[in-house]
Amino acid sequence: MTATAETITATSTTNGASSSLLELSNVTQIFSSGPFWNREHNYAVNDVSFTLSDKPALITAVAGESGSGKTTLGRIMLGFQRPSLGQVLYRGDDVAEMNAAGRKQYRRQVQAIFQDPFSVYNPFYKVDHIFTVAIARYKLASSRDQARHLIEEAISGVGLRPSETLGRYPHQLSGGQRQRVMVARSLLLKPEVIIADEPVSMVDASLRATILETLRTLNHELGIAILYITHDLTTAYQVADNIMIMYRGHVVEAGDVEHVINDPKHPYTRLLVQSIPMPDPNRRWADMRGVNDPPFTGIDVTPTMCPFVNRCPDAIANCAEQVPSTYAIDEHRISKCFLYEDAGTVSNANIASYFNIRESSPNSNGAEAKI
Amino acid sequence: MPDTVLSIRDLRVYFNIRAGTVRAVDGVDLDIAEGEKLGLVGESGSGKTTTALAIMRMIKPPGEIAGGTIQLDGRDLVGLSEPEMRAVRGNDVAMVPQAAMNALNPVRRIRSQMLDGLRDHGVNESRERTEERLTTLVAQVGLNSNVLNLFPHELSGGMKQRVTIAMAICHKPRLILADEPTSALDVVVQRQVMETLEEVRSEIGAAVILVGHDMGLMAQFADRIGVMYAGKLVELATVEQIFSNPRHPYTRLLISSLPDTAGKRRLEGIPGLPPSLLEVPPGCPFMPRCPEAMDICSVDVPELSGEVDMVSCHLHTEAATV
Repeated sequence: MTATAETITATSTTNGASSSLLELSNVTQIFSSGPFWNREHNYAVNDVSFTLSDKPALITAVAGESGSGKTTLGRIMLGFQRPSLGQVLYRGDDVAEMNAAGRKQYRRQVQAIFQDPFSVYNPFYKVDHIFTVAIARYKLASSRDQARHLIEEAISGVGLRPSETLGRYPHQLSGGQRQRVMVARSLLLKPEVIIADEPVSMVDASLRATILETLRTLNHELGIAILYITHDLTTAYQVADNIMIMYRGHVVEAGDVEHVINDPKHPYTRLLVQSIPMPDPNRRWADMRGVNDPPFTGIDVTPTMCPFVNRCPDAIANCAEQVPSTYAIDEHRISKCFLYEDAGTVSNANIASYFNIRESSPNSNGAEAKI
Repeated sequence: MPDTVLSIRDLRVYFNIRAGTVRAVDGVDLDIAEGEKLGLVGESGSGKTTTALAIMRMIKPPGEIAGGTIQLDGRDLVGLSEPEMRAVRGNDVAMVPQAAMNALNPVRRIRSQMLDGLRDHGVNESRERTEERLTTLVAQVGLNSNVLNLFPHELSGGMKQRVTIAMAICHKPRLILADEPTSALDVVVQRQVMETLEEVRSEIGAAVILVGHDMGLMAQFADRIGVMYAGKLVELATVEQIFSNPRHPYTRLLISSLPDTAGKRRLEGIPGLPPSLLEVPPGCPFMPRCPEAMDICSVDVPELSGEVDMVSCHLHTEAATV
C-alpha cells in the first residue's frame, strides 16, 4: 500500500491538462472454468488498449456478437471487474490502486446505463430514490428544494416531464421512460464518461430513437465521452463517431464508423454488416446468399490462431498457425487480419489513436450548456 | 388465388381485471393464405402477441376470447373444447416461442423433449423409426444429430431456437406462429435462424405469422405486414407497399424512426405513449400522437378499409369519398 500517498496527490489534480479520461492499457480478461486438471481458459478480452478522451469527447461504439467480450470490456472500464492482465487508468491513475476518495470520484465520473431498464430499479422505491441516493452520496444539494430542482432539471434534460415521472413507482413507467430516467440519473451527476451497455435493446423500436438522440445530445452539448456497447450496427452507425468490432475478445477492426460499416475490411465485419436486417424489402438477405454464408470448418480454434479462422471465407494457412497482429489499413482504420499484412503492423496498438476526431467538438466547459 | 388457411373475424380478447376491462385485442379481421408469410408489428402492448396466443387458444385468465371467430381451414377454433383444441395445437398450428431458453426444460435432454411432442400426438413407432424421424427433423433445421443427446444449457441461443423450430414443424402444421423468435439473438445468428425458418416453411408449405417490432426483420421475411396499434389493425398491406408508400401516419413514423446506414441523420422517435387499453378514448386511438390529426379523428373511429392494401385512417376515408 505504498502507492496510497501518490494516489492522493494525483487524484487531487483531477483537472489536469491530460485529455485521457479513461484508458485501457493492454487489458486481458481470462475467465477460467473446469476442474484444475482440465482447466479451460476463455479470453473474454484479449490485449486491448484504448482511450476515452475528453478533449474532444467522442462517442465510441463497441459491437460484436454475444460472447465477443464487449460487455466484459464495459465492466472493466466501470471498475466492476479487475482485469487479469493490464491496467485501467482513470486520468492517469490505476483504478486498481486507488484509495477510497479516488475511487469515489472515479465512480461519480464514470457512469453506467444498463441494458435492462426493469431490473436496475428496486420495485419498492419510487423512481425518485435513485436520484436522492446519488445526491446524498455526493452531497450535491444543501437543501431539499435544491435537490428537487436538480432532479427536475435532469429529468427535463432527457425529455420527460418531472410531474409525470417523479413520485411514481418503476412499474408505472414504460420501458422507454425507465431507461430515460436512468439517463437522467447519469445527467444529474454530470459525469465525464457514460458507459452504455445495450441501452436500447429492450426498448420498443419507436422509443429507441428518442433515447439514442438523448445520448447524442449529452455528448455534443455537455462533452460527455460515451462508450456505446451494442450488437446493433445500425444504431451504432447513427450514434457513434468511431467503432470497435470485437470477436472472441479481440478487437478485429476499428476506426471511423462511416468507413467500417460502409466499407468493412475484416471478414467478420463483412459478415456482420451483411446480416443487418435492412428495412427495405428490395435488399433481402436471400439475394446475398452464398456470398456470406460462413463455411464452418471443423478447426478447433485455439488461442494461438486467428479467432475467426473456422468461419472465415478468406482463411489462409497462416490463420491457423498464429494470431494476426493489428495492421493499419489507413490512418483511420486498423484490422486484425492477415489480408492486410502488407499495410504494416501497428507498433503502439492504442486503438483510439486511429479514431477520427469529429470536427465540431464541444467546448471544454460544456457542462454549463443547456440541453 | 391460393386457399385461405386462417380467417379471423372481429376477434376480441379482453382481460377482466379489478380496475375494469382491458381490451387487448379489439376487433381484428385477418385472412392468411396458404403458405403466406405475414408480419404482425406494433409496440409492446399493441396486442400482437395476444392475437397469436388467441389463435393457439392459449389466453390465460383473467383474459378471455370475448368475441369473434378464428377459422382454421373452415373450422372455428373458438368453439372447440379443450381436448379438441389440444389435437389442433402442434398438428395444425404450432408456435415458435420468443425465449428459447425458457421454452426448453433445463433438466431433460433434447431427445426426450422432442419425443414428448411426438408421443402426445399419437406417434407410436418403433425406436429405430422414431430415432430416424428425430434425426431428420434436427437435420432440417441445420443441426447435427448429436444435439439430441445434449441438455439445453449445452446449446447456444441460435441452436436452442433451431430446436424449437424443429419441434414446431414435427407434425407439418398448416400455420406456424413465430413470436419474436430472434429477439434474443445477435444479427448473424438472427439471419441464420430466419433463413432456417424460411427453408423449413417452404418445405412443408406452411403459412407463418411472424410477430415482432423489428421492421427490418419484417422487410426481410414477410410477404404482407399487419401493423397493430392499441388492439386494432391500423394498416395491412404487402411489404412493398408498406415500405414504399406507408399510408397510416403510425406506419410512416415507425419506418422513419428506424436507423439505417445511409448517412447520419437526426433520429426521430414517435412522441407520446400508446393509450391505456382500460379506457379507450373515443375516436382514433392514435389521434393524440398523430402529426396529421383532424377534427373528425377525435370523434369517429376509422374503419379498416381497402381492397388488397387496407388502412384505417381518416386521411384515406375522406380521399375515398371525394
